[in-house]
Amino acid sequence: MSDAGPSFLTNSTDDHSAYTPTSPSVPKPSEFLSVQTQDDQPVLSMNGITCRFKDVIANKDVHFDLFRGEIHGLLGENGAGKTTLMSVLYGLYKPEAGEILVKGRRVDIKSPLDAISLGIAMVHQHFLLTPNHTVTENIIVGVKPRERTIFLRTTDAEKKILELSKKYGLKIDPKAIVGNLSVGEQQRVEIIKALYRDIDILILDEPTSMLTPVEEKALFSTLSAMVKAGLSIIFITHKLQEVIEASTRVTVLRGGKVVGTVMTSQTTETELARLMIGRTLTHSTGHQQGEIHVGIEKSPNTKASAGHATVLEIKNVFALNNSAVQALKDLSLTVSKGEILGIAGVDGNGQSEMAEIVSGLRKVQSGQVVIDGRDITGMSPKQIREWGLAYIPEDRLNTGLILEYSIAENLILDRWYSKPYSGKIFLNKHEMKRFAEEIVTNFDVRTPSLDIQVRYLSGGNLQKIVLGRELSREHKLIIAHNPTRGLDVGAAEYVHKQLFKQRDSGVGVLLLSLDLDEILLVSDRIAVIYAGRIMGVFDRATADVDKIGLLMGGYVAEASN
Amino acid sequence: MTTTLILGKRLSFKHIVPFLSGGLAFLVGGIILYAAGVDPLEAYAIIIKGSLGSTRAIADTLVKTISLLIAGLAVAVAFKCKLWNIGAEGQLYMGALGGLLVGIAVVGMIPVVSVILVLIAGIAFGAMFSLVPAVLKVKLGVSEIIVTVLLNFVALLFISYLLHGPIKAPGFLPYSPDIFPESELPILIERTRLHAGLIIAALAAIFVHFLWKSKIGFELKSVGMNISAARYAGMNITKSILITMAISGGLAGLTGAVLLAGVQHRLIEGISPGYGFIAVIIALLGRENALGVCLVAFFFAVLLAGSEAMYRTLGIPVAFAQTLQALVLVFVLIGEVFTRIHLPRRFKRSNEDKIGNQGKQIGPPAERGKVE
Repeated sequence: MSDAGPSFLTNSTDDHSAYTPTSPSVPKPSEFLSVQTQDDQPVLSMNGITCRFKDVIANKDVHFDLFRGEIHGLLGENGAGKTTLMSVLYGLYKPEAGEILVKGRRVDIKSPLDAISLGIAMVHQHFLLTPNHTVTENIIVGVKPRERTIFLRTTDAEKKILELSKKYGLKIDPKAIVGNLSVGEQQRVEIIKALYRDIDILILDEPTSMLTPVEEKALFSTLSAMVKAGLSIIFITHKLQEVIEASTRVTVLRGGKVVGTVMTSQTTETELARLMIGRTLTHSTGHQQGEIHVGIEKSPNTKASAGHATVLEIKNVFALNNSAVQALKDLSLTVSKGEILGIAGVDGNGQSEMAEIVSGLRKVQSGQVVIDGRDITGMSPKQIREWGLAYIPEDRLNTGLILEYSIAENLILDRWYSKPYSGKIFLNKHEMKRFAEEIVTNFDVRTPSLDIQVRYLSGGNLQKIVLGRELSREHKLIIAHNPTRGLDVGAAEYVHKQLFKQRDSGVGVLLLSLDLDEILLVSDRIAVIYAGRIMGVFDRATADVDKIGLLMGGYVAEASN
Repeated sequence: MTTTLILGKRLSFKHIVPFLSGGLAFLVGGIILYAAGVDPLEAYAIIIKGSLGSTRAIADTLVKTISLLIAGLAVAVAFKCKLWNIGAEGQLYMGALGGLLVGIAVVGMIPVVSVILVLIAGIAFGAMFSLVPAVLKVKLGVSEIIVTVLLNFVALLFISYLLHGPIKAPGFLPYSPDIFPESELPILIERTRLHAGLIIAALAAIFVHFLWKSKIGFELKSVGMNISAARYAGMNITKSILITMAISGGLAGLTGAVLLAGVQHRLIEGISPGYGFIAVIIALLGRENALGVCLVAFFFAVLLAGSEAMYRTLGIPVAFAQTLQALVLVFVLIGEVFTRIHLPRRFKRSNEDKIGNQGKQIGPPAERGKVE
C-alpha cells in the first residue's frame, strides 16, 4: 500500500517536531523526558513488566512509555508479547513483576473496568459488538446513565456520538443496526465507544487487518485528529508499512523483550524489520533473491501465464452462503498452469464460498467448475481431492486440522483410507510415523515430539503441517485461502516460497487473501472480488493499486476503464 | 510426575485425580452411612465381601459386569464421536426383544449357531432402533440427545405392551415365553450364574479397542471431533454419524440379548435395572476408552453386588449403591475441573480466547519465538 497512498506522516510528524532523534538501541524511558514539550512526564509508563504463563515468559522486564499526543506503534512478530503487554495494561492479565504509572500515579489495574476508569480503552482486533443492536445501544452499554429513569433515553447519547463523530471525522449513523455495517464502520463504532468514555489512552490491536486501503486511510486521518486533540494512541501491529505511515514513535518487541524504541522519522522499514525479526529478511520469489523492504517489493512476473493451459475454470457460478443469501453471482475466472492468481477483496465478498465451490464443500446453484479439463461440479470433496486439488483452508484451526490429534494423525486426514497409510482394516502406525517424520523434516516443523496434540504448536508450525499435507499429495491446483494470516514475517515468507515453488513446477495457484500487500507481492495476476462478482482482472505488472482498492470497495464507476 | 506406565500412558496428576475423587466419594458415603446408624467400615467391608468374598459372589459380580461393560462400551463409542446417545436403555430393550424373537423361533440348531443368531438379532434390533435418532440428526438436524432420551420411554412402553399382550406367555405375570435351551448362553462355572456372556463382553471390549485403530474408526472419530475438518478432508459425514450410532445402538442391543440369553432366558419388564443409564456414567468415568470402561464397569458391578449383600445383612437399601455411584460421578467431575485448572496451557488458551486472539497465537510464546 506504500506505493499507493499519500503519506499522513507529514501531518503527524509536524506536531511532534520537538522530539529529538534517539538511538534505537537505548530504549530508556528517561530519554524522552527532556524533550517533551507539553508534559514533562509520560501519560503512561510501564516499568519492568514481567508476565509469564507457568514456565513460559511472555514479557520480560518491559519498559514502555507513552506521551500525550503521540501515536506509539508497538511492533513485533506473533508471539513477541505485544498483545500480552497490552492485556496487562488493560487488566486482562496480571503481571508478576513491574509497575504501571498513569499520569505519574502508580495504579493497580485488575480488570478492564479499572482500565476504563483510568481513561484507557482498547479496540480489539475482533470487535466486541452486538450485531442486532443499534450503534448507540452498543456504545452506551455499560455506561451508567446520569438520571435515574426506567426507560432508556438515547437522545443525549446520540447527540454526543454525533459530536464525537464530527470532531474526529468518524462518519457513523447512531441509529444504524451494527450488523448491517461494514467492518470499517464497525471499527468506527468501537473507536467512538472508547471515546464516549472520555479516555486519554486508546489501544488499537491490529486495527487495519480487515480494512480496505480506503478505509485504512480514513482511519489514519482519524487517528491524527485524535492525537491533535490530546489523546495518546498505542497501535499494535506487525505490519511495518503501517508503523511508518501512522506512528510517531515505535517500540519493537522480540521474544517478550523490548529491543528498541525509535522515532519513526529517524528509522526505515529495513531497520525496523531487522529489529523485529533479529535478522535480515530475504524473500525469495523463486526468480530472484535479495533483501526486500517487506510489503513493497513485488515478485517479478517473468513467467507470464500467457500460453499456459488452463487448470481451473469457473464458469458463471451462482451459489448461496450459509445464511442462504446469494454469495456468488455469475462468477467466472480462470487459473492457468504455472501462475498464481490472487483474489483481492474485503472479507465476506464471496471468497470463502468461491474456495468451497471449487473444493466441493459447497453446492453451486448453477454454473460449472472445471479442473484440468474435467467438470468437477457436483463431485464430492474426496473425489475432487483425488483428481488433483490441494487446499489450504482459511481456518487452519477449525478446518485444516483437528487440534486434538497428533501431527501424524493430522497428516493422514485426507488419505487415511489409502495405501500405504492404512491396510485393509487398520491404520499403518509405522507408515504414519515415517510420513510425519518426513514432513516434519521437509517442512521444518518445530515440535517437541510427534505425539503431542497439535494444539500446542504455534500458528506457523500448524500452517506448515497443513502445507506439508496438502503439497505432498498429487495436485494440479492449489487453493490457498489466507495462507499467511496470523503468521509472522518469517513464516509468511516460508509459505510464499512454497507457493512460488509450486507455481514454477507448473501447478496453478488460486490465492485468496484479505491482505492486499500479500496479493500484490505474490500474484502473477490479480482479480478483484466484490459482492460475489469478479470486478476486474489485472496483470500484476500493470496493476494499479488505487484502482484495485476502489474495486474492492465496489466503486465501479470511478475505477472502470 | 512419575513415569509409571498405566494404560500405556504416563501416570500423572491427571490420572491420580479420579482415584482421589473416588476416595472422597466413599468418605462422604461413609458419613451418610454413619448418619443412618451404621458403622461405615463394617458396611464397606460387607460390600467387598459380598461382591468378591466367594466364588459365587465373584461370579455374580462378573454377571453384572458383563451388562455394565457392554452397555458402557455402547455409550463410550458414541461419546467418543461426540454423539450423545442417552438411549442405551431403550436400545437394550429392543435388543432383548430381537433376541427373544429369534430365541423362541429357532429350534433344532447347533447351540452355538442359535446363540449367535440370538445375539445378532439383538445387535440388529438395537442398531435399527438407534438409527431413528441418527437419521433425524443427519436429515433434519434434530438433536440426538432429546430423541434418544425420549425413545427410551417409547421402547420400554412398547415392550411393556407386548408383554401384556401379543407375546405374553400363558400365566398370570407379564412374562414372555422362555427361549429354547439351545439359544441360552452356557454357564461357565458350575453352580454359579456366570455365563458365556463374559466372553462376549471381552470380545466387545477388544472390538472397541481396535475400532479406534482402524480406518473406519479414524473416520468416525475425526467426524466426531471436528465436522468441518472432516468434511474438508473428504470424509463422509452422514455415513459416519449413521455408522457410529449403529455401532453404539448395536452394542446396547447386544447387552439386551446377552441379558436375555445369559440371565433371564425370557423377556420381562425389568430385564435391565437401568444398565443403559448407568452406562452413561461408566462411559464418562472410563474416559470413553475400552480399558477405562472395563475398569469402571467392574467397579460399579462390585458396588451393585456389594450393596445387595449390605441390604441382606444390614438392611441398608440397595439405593445406597446408586447414592455411591452418584457421589463418585460428582467427585470425579469436580476432580476434572481441578485437572483443567492445573493445565497451564489450556488456561492460557482460554485467556487468549477471552481477548479474541485465538486464531493467531496458540502454544507458549517462548516456543513461538524460537520457532518462527
